[in-house]
Amino acid sequence: MIDTRYALGVLVAMALVTFGLRALPFLAARFLQSHPLVQRLGRFLPLAIMTLLLLHTLVGSASDNPSGPWAELAAIATVVALQWWRRQPLLSILAGTALYVLLRNTTLMA
Amino acid sequence: MGYVPLGMVFGFLFVQAGAPWWLALTASVLVFAGASQFMMVPMLAAGMPVAAIALATLVVNLRHVFYGLSLLDKLPAKPWARWYLVFALTDETYSVLTTLPAGTSTRQMVTVALLNQGWWVLGTLLGAVIGSQAQIGLAGLDFALAALFAVLAVEQWRSADSAAPLWVAIVSYAIAWVLMPQQALLIAIALSVLTGLFWPTTNSQKVTP
Repeated sequence: MIDTRYALGVLVAMALVTFGLRALPFLAARFLQSHPLVQRLGRFLPLAIMTLLLLHTLVGSASDNPSGPWAELAAIATVVALQWWRRQPLLSILAGTALYVLLRNTTLMA
Repeated sequence: MGYVPLGMVFGFLFVQAGAPWWLALTASVLVFAGASQFMMVPMLAAGMPVAAIALATLVVNLRHVFYGLSLLDKLPAKPWARWYLVFALTDETYSVLTTLPAGTSTRQMVTVALLNQGWWVLGTLLGAVIGSQAQIGLAGLDFALAALFAVLAVEQWRSADSAAPLWVAIVSYAIAWVLMPQQALLIAIALSVLTGLFWPTTNSQKVTP
């Protein structure tokens, strides 16, 4: 059972961090825009961080999966291909997750 | 409208991890950031320190800083509308706002954001209600988070000037994994930031999200 006060604390902290990030450009626009390093990171970081989060999550699920990384690789290849082709986030996510759930729950029984 | 099913997966997973339905609803009303909400579920269930979860949220949502930078002149000036839109600046809201023509009314912009959040909250509620009916042992539903990261990575890739950040990230992660598998993500982020600071820029001046 999750402790309610702890969980609410987590949610408030997450809300503050998220709002802070979204509000930062509107509060410190002049500073951020005048700094070439910020601009440089703005072009570089979003793709780099998203790639890292993806890798990290995949490594995490693959190490929890006794039957090896093939289900993860197949599902993520499906998501990437679908997203590249159709550009419909919902379709890509639901198809990839459904495939993964299917692979996980059938390979475990085999 | 699209985010009802994803909201359902979130509500379902959070309730299955031991949270009451109203807590799932609170998360979607208060935080409203899909990827970090998914990421938080196992961390919260494991009782990790608030600071660790806040740091992870910072990393997952860092991209939102750059969203705001490219919308500075586009958001309405009316304070309540402006700050609600800033609060609701998810990937989805951002991508819709950037496609709206200049001169779109404040009301329309706020409606877009309210609808996005409305669908997300409704989905969360549905998922939470389903999740609290029965314990369903379906392994792998949490893969939605990896799939969401993959979608966001593909979209960042398409709008990026070059694929270099992708390769730098892969190499950084490999190095970090060899050095310290337990802290691979943080080390890899540090390596990528350092590389990004020194990476030669292409000459385009636009701020790419």
